[in-house]
Amino acid sequence: MTGLSPGQAIGLVARREFSTQVRSKSFAIGIVISLVIFGIYAFIFQFVGSQMSSSTLGVTSAAQPVVPALQQAATAVGRTLTISEVSAADGAAQVQAGDLDAVLDRSPGWTLTGRDAVGDELSSLVSTVVRQTTLDQALQSAGQDPATVTAQGRVTVATLEPEDPERGQRLGLAIVTAVLLFMSLIGYGSAVAQGVVEEKSSRVVELLLSTIKPLHLLAGKVLGLGAVGLLQLLILGAIGVVVGSVTGLLTAPTAAAGALVAAVIWYLLGFFLYASVYAAAGSMVSRQEELQSLVAPIMFPLLLPFIFAVSVLPGDPRNTLATVLSFVPFFAPTLMPTRQALGVAAWWEVLIAIVLTLAAIVGVVALAARIYRNSVLRTGARVSWAEALRG
Amino acid sequence: MEGAEHVQPQRRADEPGAASAAVDRSVQLLDGAQAHGADPADHDVAGQIGRPRTLATSCHGRMTLDPCARIRSARFADVLDIGGLAKRFGTRTALEDVTFSVRPGEVFGFVGSNGAGKTTTMRIVLGVLSADSGEVRWKGSPLDEDVRRRIGYMPEERGLYPKMKVGEQLAYLARLHAVSAADAAAAVTRWTTRLGVEERVNDEVQKLSLGNQQRVQLCAALIHDPEILVLDEPFSGLDPSAVEVMSRVLRDKADEGVPVVFSSHQLDLVERLCDRVGIIADGRMVAVGTVSELRSGGGGVHGADHRPVLSRIDVVGPPPGWASSVDGIRVVASDGAHTRVELDGATDQDVLKAALAAGPVHEFSPYRPPLTELYKDVVSR
Repeated sequence: MTGLSPGQAIGLVARREFSTQVRSKSFAIGIVISLVIFGIYAFIFQFVGSQMSSSTLGVTSAAQPVVPALQQAATAVGRTLTISEVSAADGAAQVQAGDLDAVLDRSPGWTLTGRDAVGDELSSLVSTVVRQTTLDQALQSAGQDPATVTAQGRVTVATLEPEDPERGQRLGLAIVTAVLLFMSLIGYGSAVAQGVVEEKSSRVVELLLSTIKPLHLLAGKVLGLGAVGLLQLLILGAIGVVVGSVTGLLTAPTAAAGALVAAVIWYLLGFFLYASVYAAAGSMVSRQEELQSLVAPIMFPLLLPFIFAVSVLPGDPRNTLATVLSFVPFFAPTLMPTRQALGVAAWWEVLIAIVLTLAAIVGVVALAARIYRNSVLRTGARVSWAEALRG
Repeated sequence: MEGAEHVQPQRRADEPGAASAAVDRSVQLLDGAQAHGADPADHDVAGQIGRPRTLATSCHGRMTLDPCARIRSARFADVLDIGGLAKRFGTRTALEDVTFSVRPGEVFGFVGSNGAGKTTTMRIVLGVLSADSGEVRWKGSPLDEDVRRRIGYMPEERGLYPKMKVGEQLAYLARLHAVSAADAAAAVTRWTTRLGVEERVNDEVQKLSLGNQQRVQLCAALIHDPEILVLDEPFSGLDPSAVEVMSRVLRDKADEGVPVVFSSHQLDLVERLCDRVGIIADGRMVAVGTVSELRSGGGGVHGADHRPVLSRIDVVGPPPGWASSVDGIRVVASDGAHTRVELDGATDQDVLKAALAAGPVHEFSPYRPPLTELYKDVVSR
């Protein structure tokens, strides 16, 4: 009987992790929950978006002259404006009841009355139209042609780089990519930590380590669970692309495929980085309850890029801080693919970030392996940092 | 290697030639008792009844009469040698010069109070803990990973994946010990059947009773057909029938030539099952030997040879009080016609004469204290 080669040992462990995890209920449930969450988000975005872009306005008879101009301006900026003619009293009552967003009156000054507030977009639309109309009338009275004056004062907006017609799509993809990576890294990173703690708390680790090396057990676990996470990512990505294309929401399949490829690459890089840290953390405690406080700080670098990706980058894709952080190893796995999806990361930037992350992986894995080796057989109280890092 | 030096004296101490005069006397006494056809112990320690069988059938019974001594010497290279292990945890010394050896075909009982160092020793043997000094050798060479993989191990804290099915789990553990998939499947069937858990192979481990989990744990130790068995408290928490099954399995493995080491607090069981016993206290081996050797005062280590406990004699027959006037003996216990005396200058022949003078003697035999008593005696020194 000859011993196992390291590859065989790691392979056996990885296969067990993979088959156990994939057959578990939590795997299928995880996919369903992710889809439901994405569905809900899509619905909310759609709903809020349509709410924001349509409004109802009551106009008194005195203010009627500006109605055609209002309709025209609303159409020009892509808003749906429903206008009805009301008396001042009726209009106020309807605003109070919530049937109208605001009522426009002229007696003789112009007033736009809302219930608690008037939406910015509606008020600026109305103000612009009323001001323009007033100016036009004044110009005509002064014998000037309003069209000529407007043309003289027009500012033409241009961009140095051609504006991306798929910008909206890319933004959506960037957010979805960030969310997917965030969920996968957190989910399967903590699965590694929980697996390590499970082996410790059930003491099976002692039996395992009497036949294989700690490093092989760790490597097998990380690879096995990483593969499960990858599978889930691919399933979700594929479902997303197919559903998006079929429903017509996604009209840029090339960008989507590119984002998915980037997501896979960054998932793998990020996973090895984070799973090592999670495994080391897991090996330092003996019970699942103790794990939470130890892994909470690991969430921070994962969460920050996520916040950037969702809140800062859509409005400011070249945000300096985000750009800098997208090169920093622990932030890169979620920030860089988000920037890639937005189309603001050059290929060499991506390459540098990948190289830096790989270098970090080497260091972090070595450190995590040491902590794991020192801690995994110690049960009872949490292993101190000094003990964990020793040797 | 420093540890190797410690191994040598211990081997000699275990050798038949080291027998003391006290042992010779005890053997005569034993022979005399057998000539009377009486079991000297059956009226005061019920658990003793089964013991002579073990001693009589074992290769390692009376050291002076040991028929296997030469065979054992010839196979000496096959022993599992634990030599001079020392281990400290911070400021606490867990082990100090722990030395003993286990021979193929031998069941070795490892006893000691909680925290004495049994588990630490076993973990070092398995390589899940490293010793500060000393070493473990098998067939003459230091235990390496390849050999360790061929050890069957039952950790003190039972360890199995709670949510994994029994069969899958055992097959997985076999595979980790480099057993092929087909052989692993066969071994799962063989051992679960042998230990009576074959109907539970498709159940998750956590759904089994603790006793059955323990049977599965033993399956896990045996699944790869180990060359050496190291079991930490294999009997704790088992019902009598499981104890019987497990004892049988350990005996059979030993008979196949596997050295079997197990720790236990059930001293009667250790006495019944083990060929040899090692007693550890505060991280030091205080005695190693067959139960008979311990009884005769042999087996002490570190030069701590002691007064043989065997210098006690049970006499049945003469009326109570006969012994109090005899010089050189001390009455240890008296119950009707049964008197237990301790030799304190007198010889056994003096006692026999005095007893015969006092009345008819129906039984005259050396008192053979159970391991429980020996243990207390050894540990308290």
